[in-house]
Amino acid sequence: MKNNRAVTLTQCQDGHSLNFQAMASACEVIIQSSDQQLAKELGNIIANEVWRIEDKYSRYDQNSVCSDINNSAGQTVSIDEETYLLLNFAEQCYQLSDGLFDITSGVLRKVWRFDGSNKLPTSTQVAKYLSYVGWRKVQFDQQQITFVKGMEIDFGGIGKEYAVDRAIILAKQLTDLPVLVNLGGDLAVTGARLNNAPWQVAIEHPDVDSTEANIERNIKKSSTESGIKSNSPADMIISLKSGALATSGDARRYLLNKGKRYSHVLNAKTGWPIENAPRSITVVAPACIQAGILATMALLQGDNAEQFLSEQEIKFWSRR
Amino acid sequence: MKTEKTNIKAALTIATAALLGGNTVAHAETTAAKEDNSWEFDSAFLFYSETDRVSASEVILNAKKSFEDDEILNLKLTVDALTGASANGAVAQPTVQTFTRPSGNGQYDIAPGDTPLDDTFHDTRVQLNAQWTQAVADNLTASGGVHISKEYDYLSLGVNGNIAMDFDRKNSTVSLGFSHFQDTFTPEGGIPKPFASMLIGDSSAPTWDDEFAKTRLGSDDDKTTTDLLLGFTQVINRRMIMQFNYSYSMVDGYLTDPFKILTIVDDNGIAQDYVYESRPDSRVKQSIYAQSLYHFDTNVLDVSYRYMWDDGEITSHTIDSRFTIPLSDSFSRESYIQPHFRFYQQSAADFYQPFILASEPLPVFASADYRIGEMTAFTIGLKYGLLVNNGHELSFRLEYYRQTPTDAGFDEPGVLKEVDLYPSVDAMIAQVSYSF
Amino acid sequence: MNTGHKIKLALIVPLIATASGCTSLGVEPWERDLLAKDAMSLTSSPIDSALDDHIYFSKEASSGGKGFGGGGCGCN
Repeated sequence: MKNNRAVTLTQCQDGHSLNFQAMASACEVIIQSSDQQLAKELGNIIANEVWRIEDKYSRYDQNSVCSDINNSAGQTVSIDEETYLLLNFAEQCYQLSDGLFDITSGVLRKVWRFDGSNKLPTSTQVAKYLSYVGWRKVQFDQQQITFVKGMEIDFGGIGKEYAVDRAIILAKQLTDLPVLVNLGGDLAVTGARLNNAPWQVAIEHPDVDSTEANIERNIKKSSTESGIKSNSPADMIISLKSGALATSGDARRYLLNKGKRYSHVLNAKTGWPIENAPRSITVVAPACIQAGILATMALLQGDNAEQFLSEQEIKFWSRR
Repeated sequence: MKTEKTNIKAALTIATAALLGGNTVAHAETTAAKEDNSWEFDSAFLFYSETDRVSASEVILNAKKSFEDDEILNLKLTVDALTGASANGAVAQPTVQTFTRPSGNGQYDIAPGDTPLDDTFHDTRVQLNAQWTQAVADNLTASGGVHISKEYDYLSLGVNGNIAMDFDRKNSTVSLGFSHFQDTFTPEGGIPKPFASMLIGDSSAPTWDDEFAKTRLGSDDDKTTTDLLLGFTQVINRRMIMQFNYSYSMVDGYLTDPFKILTIVDDNGIAQDYVYESRPDSRVKQSIYAQSLYHFDTNVLDVSYRYMWDDGEITSHTIDSRFTIPLSDSFSRESYIQPHFRFYQQSAADFYQPFILASEPLPVFASADYRIGEMTAFTIGLKYGLLVNNGHELSFRLEYYRQTPTDAGFDEPGVLKEVDLYPSVDAMIAQVSYSF
Repeated sequence: MNTGHKIKLALIVPLIATASGCTSLGVEPWERDLLAKDAMSLTSSPIDSALDDHIYFSKEASSGGKGFGGGGCGCN
């Protein structure tokens, strides 16, 4: 099920943009350079890396390492260093989220279909698949991985963000010029644009804007006459000079039953959706994978999503 | 929750470094646009023009800089220039009238039936404001500023201070402010004696200067204005916010307009003499003000009402409303239109009279300035704004302002029935603004 | 202060008292999305306000209310 694997080059105002399809998303690489050759080379290197990661870790691809592991039914499978590092990272996330973030929870998609309908699974159905969820049941080390038959691992929660970070690493190896990598909304920059100018990134206007200054400013605006200008109404523009942005959540994937909205974020411990989670959270962090995990962990807090991130002093924007 | 909560950020950083091989940045640097600690500028050019009367141009340049900890410095430069004619307070007559210019240098004639207008006014004014705002405690903000304004014959120096306290998740705010202005007026021709007759003759005559000096009190006078403002702001809900203010203002000093006169008429309404006006040397104004902002699906309604009353029997009502309508992206730019309507009504001051009857004793204070007489006025306008170049805003505003002085209940003897004692004043206002 | 003014003040004061007394008024910090917009600011355009205030201060007998009336120029 490979998408059309072509990289298209477009010239923009002060640089070039490379576009391609990967991981079911529109992907874009922007380089602030008028050197067309360099842009093409960069586009190809990054696209190839993203496709490589997709081929390796997509659970939809029967030839991927991920599928190999999932189909290995109770046996031990050898893994390489990259896979080991990813599994290690997933382990850290499992512990830091108190078990809520669990890459073995993908198997629950067999009972939960978030199609906007009101079809909820029964407790029995959920319990059946819940028995196949549990990071603790996974055993792995630098060379191999083993887990119980019927279980699955799913790199979907970290794959795209990991690809963004890898792309940035490769971009920095190729050139010192400013580059922005955006894989379907998860993005990062190699650094500020020329003349220390920021990259202007638009996100859908949030309901909550955590940057302390912004919350204070928004509150001040409505309470005194200081007349401070705020964000533009339709999209919010963020100036990014370094680091990454990742967004977690999807407004369209939910179930509506008896007036209650069940978001698609599942609690790996109970098998049921997290209640009262924001529809989406965008987080800023030094690396995309960090931002992505924080956004997901926040969603897993449900009601307390914003509070969880505020307490960590993390910059975020949320939509409810 | 877990006790190691606060270490999640740090732990993740370590985990990320392990995964990506230490090729990560030390931190992410973002700011929402327009928040970098650089200057924000607002500039505007306004043109105001009354039909056959005063025209004014005004330019404002405002620079704002935000510092750490929500400290803000605001600097503003205003330059305005005034030309044209304004009513001098005398009534129209069926014959030609001659008046002396305020400076005493020269006369001017007014055609029969015309409202007497003095067109000697050409003045340029420069004003500088500086304001500093900062948080002084968790829910406490203080602000202070200075003001200086200079025109050929007028100097104004002022200071202001304000303190605001927030409550209940900053949904309620109480504020208290004060301002004090010290003005000095040095009109050309000096300060006229109250009710002195306007000297009319030949300005070049050798005796003119002495005669003119006899109608003068001195060369300059002062005025102080002290204002107190008590405000309360409340967020009602996600779509609505309201503000209520009470203000108290004391003005002391020279409140008379040295350029304005009154006509003394006989029982037939024929002008006998022109005398300089005189107003009380103090005025206390109070007002209550309420404003409400409501956000509909996309549009925003802003309505406010002000009721003002003073110790000279002037009361006024002001209703001001604006409706902001965002337009769908034209040329993928954000824009909006904002229709505006303002209604104003005031009652006359107790010392207002359009003229003085010769058969009656001179009043203690009197002024025929229509601006303190009974009148209604309305403004209707439209503003169009759009974002250009990376978030800068360009806007255009066009308004029509009509003032209609009305009969405050004075009998019109003789010929005054045939002239317009209360002419309306029409004005156009055009403005261009650019923020960057 | 005559009765007319007393009545008007009497209407405003309970309104404020009611407004501040109702604990159901107000929003959480993350519900300020609409309130943060420029158009929802009490003075959405300080420059327009300054220009208008100057015009109306010169042409009418009232000033201030929302902010300081003040002296400032020789126009009235």
